[in-house]
Amino acid sequence: MKNFILVLLLAFSLPAFADATIKTAGEAETTAQATLKAIQKHSKANYPHIKGDAFVDGAMNFSRGSKQYNKMWTDRMHDDFDQPETYAAAMAAGKKLWETPFTNGKTFASCFKNGGKGAAADYPKVDASGKVVTFENALNECLVANNEKPLEYGDMKTMGAMSIIARGLSDGYRIKMKVNSDAEKAAFERGKTIFYSRVGKLEQACAHCHIKHAGNIARTEELSPVIGQAAHFPVFRPNKATADLEVITLQKRYEGCQKNTLVEKPIKPGSADSNDLEYFHTYISNGMPLSTGVFRK
Amino acid sequence: MKKIIFLSILGTLMLQGCKTPATPVVAEKPAATPQLVTAAVEVKKEVKPIEMDALKIMTNPNIGNCTACHALPSKPEIVAGDIGPPFTGMKHRFPDFAKLTAAISDQRALSPQTIMPPFARNKILTPEQIDAVAQYIYQY
Repeated sequence: MKNFILVLLLAFSLPAFADATIKTAGEAETTAQATLKAIQKHSKANYPHIKGDAFVDGAMNFSRGSKQYNKMWTDRMHDDFDQPETYAAAMAAGKKLWETPFTNGKTFASCFKNGGKGAAADYPKVDASGKVVTFENALNECLVANNEKPLEYGDMKTMGAMSIIARGLSDGYRIKMKVNSDAEKAAFERGKTIFYSRVGKLEQACAHCHIKHAGNIARTEELSPVIGQAAHFPVFRPNKATADLEVITLQKRYEGCQKNTLVEKPIKPGSADSNDLEYFHTYISNGMPLSTGVFRK
Repeated sequence: MKKIIFLSILGTLMLQGCKTPATPVVAEKPAATPQLVTAAVEVKKEVKPIEMDALKIMTNPNIGNCTACHALPSKPEIVAGDIGPPFTGMKHRFPDFAKLTAAISDQRALSPQTIMPPFARNKILTPEQIDAVAQYIYQY
């Protein structure tokens, strides 16, 4: 009798949660290559007007107004007289961090082939222990290897600023990640699970906004499609409080998104979860050209 | 005997209702340090009143934030998203009002893949707030 009641209880409580999937493009596929293909096919079908590299323009593809707004800020960033203070400060701080020699006389350039040119395009990758290593991890590894203190991963004023300068050396290089080894496949799956999982009090997944509802408007902003997102970080974004720009790295954005979804402990920049998500996320932008230090609303 | 006991208990209980209200105790101004007074004021500030105005619930990002995804065609001046259907023709779409409050409370129970947050299940809004919002949009 007890078992019968338990079974009944289960039977009635399961339906709401049995189907934990969101049922959107890329979710059901079991390999990285198939997942990417499915998302690309979905994007082509739903946004036929977004061609080739235009995906890196993100939400601007859906609104001429935001394109013009972007141009206005971008012009300011490159204007001698009207350059936003924080933009100039961040670029200078980043340059100083990247170029200042360590105590032992070496510089960051010595840690990467070609002095860092194109280096960002080699990341993220999976190391021998199966852990995801991002470009920012590599920057910190360079510091440690040269007996210097690593930077705080989530600090926009140091790591964020330097990331813009360091990644800038790879502008134009295309993302060409390969997910072949077991460790790479496992990292991809971990990141994919995070991307398609509901989180927070709002119980929403990245895939909800950035695949299923990309192009729709959330309050005032069009939702950007997932393809192209990982190719253009860190960005400069307007800060309402200061009425000036602020540096936002990709993993800082993950944290922000989760805060908006009312997650109790948002995903932390530099954490294993955040790295895994970046691994999956970057793979989905395979083929896209890198850019950094760009303006985004 | 039993009857007498019963009646006396009943009588005592009934007499309770005749008690005069206790005279209010006037709190004497504390002769103590000013910090005590400040502390009392701060405690009062912590109690946040629950917003019951439907429009405020719907447009405030920290309360319901409904207009982030749903448009209010009756109020075109309110900036709103289009992820969810606009609030129009509600009586036609939800002839059973209870189905509307159920949808706001936990749309996942009806549609497992939905992006709509479960406002009651995750205690984002109280049942009274959900009812206030539902009543409001039901007009349109």
